[in-house]
Amino acid sequence: MKRTVLSMFFSLIATLSSVSAFADSLEVVATVPALASLAQEIGGDQIKVTSLSLPTQDPHFIDARPSLALALNRADLLLFVGLELEQGWLPTLMTSARNGKIQPGASGYLDCSSVVERLGVSNTALDRRMGDVHPAGNPHYLFDPRNALRVAQAIAERLAAIDPENAASYQTRLESFQTDLSQRIAAWEARMVPFKGAPIIAYHSSWLYLATWLGLTEVAFIEPKPGIAPTPAHVAQVLAIGRAKGVRAILQETFYADSASRLIAEKIPARLLRLSAGPDVRGGESYAAQIEKIVSALEAALLPQAHQAEVTP
Amino acid sequence: MTRLIRRRLQARAATFVASVSLAAFCFLFSSLIPAPCAWAESEIESAASPESLPTIAPDELAEIERALGQDSAKPNHPPQPPPASANPVVAALSNFNPDLAVILDVAAGWFSGETGKPITSGGHDPKKTGFTFQQLELSIGKAVDPYFRFDANLVFSQFGVEVEEAYATSLALPFSLQIRAGQLLTRFGRLNASHPHSWEFADQNFALTRLFGAEGNRGLGLELSWLMPLPWFTEIIVSATDATGAATARSFLGAGEFDIDSPLDFQLTAALKQFFPITDALSLNLGLSAVTGPNSTGNGNRTDIYGLDFYLRYRPVTGAALRWIALQAEVFWRRRQIPDDLLQDVNAYAQLVWRFADRWSVAARYEWGSAATGIDGEHTSLDWLDPEWTRDRQRVSAAATFHPSEFSRLRLQGARDHAPSITPDPIWSVILAAEFFVGAHAAHAF
Repeated sequence: MKRTVLSMFFSLIATLSSVSAFADSLEVVATVPALASLAQEIGGDQIKVTSLSLPTQDPHFIDARPSLALALNRADLLLFVGLELEQGWLPTLMTSARNGKIQPGASGYLDCSSVVERLGVSNTALDRRMGDVHPAGNPHYLFDPRNALRVAQAIAERLAAIDPENAASYQTRLESFQTDLSQRIAAWEARMVPFKGAPIIAYHSSWLYLATWLGLTEVAFIEPKPGIAPTPAHVAQVLAIGRAKGVRAILQETFYADSASRLIAEKIPARLLRLSAGPDVRGGESYAAQIEKIVSALEAALLPQAHQAEVTP
Repeated sequence: MTRLIRRRLQARAATFVASVSLAAFCFLFSSLIPAPCAWAESEIESAASPESLPTIAPDELAEIERALGQDSAKPNHPPQPPPASANPVVAALSNFNPDLAVILDVAAGWFSGETGKPITSGGHDPKKTGFTFQQLELSIGKAVDPYFRFDANLVFSQFGVEVEEAYATSLALPFSLQIRAGQLLTRFGRLNASHPHSWEFADQNFALTRLFGAEGNRGLGLELSWLMPLPWFTEIIVSATDATGAATARSFLGAGEFDIDSPLDFQLTAALKQFFPITDALSLNLGLSAVTGPNSTGNGNRTDIYGLDFYLRYRPVTGAALRWIALQAEVFWRRRQIPDDLLQDVNAYAQLVWRFADRWSVAARYEWGSAATGIDGEHTSLDWLDPEWTRDRQRVSAAATFHPSEFSRLRLQGARDHAPSITPDPIWSVILAAEFFVGAHAAHAF
């Protein structure tokens, strides 16, 4: 009797598991929408992409909802930003996902920071008095599209390794994506040439790669330290610096409170650019479209006639 | 006469401790949040003095203060970009060491009543009027190899160390199965498997303390769980653990030592957990749990406990990141066989937590525990664990928590605890608790 029950239990497990195992497309799970978008460009119809977070959410603080563990449980490939960006929630999910395919060292595990040139790597001893710091480097590298080229390459290689049958089509899509994005990069760089060295203020240290790419100078951060909310004395200091340096643009992701930034923008005056952290993948927005949005917003803000304090939606 | 004096002195001491804790709380807060205007004004002068720093007009500073609150901090140095230099070795060096985190919980409390003590308490609860060292927790974790992950929580009290948890978790079993083996908190209900640093109150729930003991339900054993291949998250968990432990399995064998003759001599736990992402912002977790094991009254008598847990959380996915509100409730039904009778009781709690600002949250909790009834439905004093618990007990608690950062918090909690059969008057309490966290970034369970 016991044996029958036991064998029934295991055959039930086997049947149910095999049902889910025979899905026809490759399951790719990305922690942030920008990576999901890149994966979709390369994978096309051959893959099904899920993003664990929305562009309106702070990727440092995503709730480890069990539904995300379920997505990871079924994943063939996990793409994540790394550099401890997802440290607060991804490890828990990866353990409860019980999926050997996406554990470190497996072919389904891709730390995308491994292929980019890192900025903001600390070579001094860090401690938490400096705020919520990322010792291995600043994780916001996807705001530099040249890094997207490298990440796309890595994704294509990994997809080809997991799914050799479709390797050729991944390669084709990669090439057309890279050609297109490279042309756009050249155009964006040309448009931003007049603003080389322009001073900007950032809320969080999210725009280091963007600023480095476009040759902008980050002169102040509205957060006194990473992860610490602005204090009035600090805001006053930032305002003074902003005026002294003639800052015209303040950059911040939409998930940060904007009262301090608005105030500074009005006082300098400068334009507050509240930018999405990633493309709206659900709404069909591509990675390139989002970078285009950022460049256009910067261009508009930095033009000499854009003196008026304005807040982009 | 001397007794009267002593009592008065005790009462005075209690009031003193309470006022000291309140004063300390207020002081700590005032140093971290808005401070008197006078400070802010002196700041304008000091901010203006360094020649190298650009400045702004005083009326503008006043406007900033109106908008953001005043600030007692000294003027900041010009913001520094993060130190930059490529040095991949630094990151690589620490890769093989386990991730360590050390968490300190300390509290000061005041309890009304003659004894100045709470009615019953969990192992980490403030235990008396005065200071309490709640715990120093060392949590250690790392992947062992591609197949296992290791986790341990060592808890240091003032005079000893205990291995609260030390277990391995499988990472890559087929069929979405997972095994945990070692000393572990059972996943009975929602709160039991959590550690004090993720609690929303400064003390343990009395339901779990009453059912399992001061430390919650845990033991040496083995757990198997299965993530079912369904469109929504459904997990089935079964575990077998030691049924002994005065502070961990009191409804079962408690402090006694017994031989194992059959699998039924272990504590056997089963749970079903389901998660529904109703919207991106709204989450619902539902759980059913059951546990059975032998109890210490002999003759093959057993204890069964059934639990139902509910967790509803709303966290907007647009706008400011750290805002959420969550309702959590659990109900437990316990049945214990004793010679010639069957004891039954129900314990429940519900709590509402609201993180309403980047650095602030408030919480309210209601707890209820019925007296044990015999087979005739009458209240009985045959309960060998809590013979005094012959009438319902209710406790209402409210807490306000200040989070200076992700790694520290200060909590002020007040409670009214009424157990008429144990103390005639309700016991009021005020607790000020502080927590400090250093080490590897904590990964938070949902």
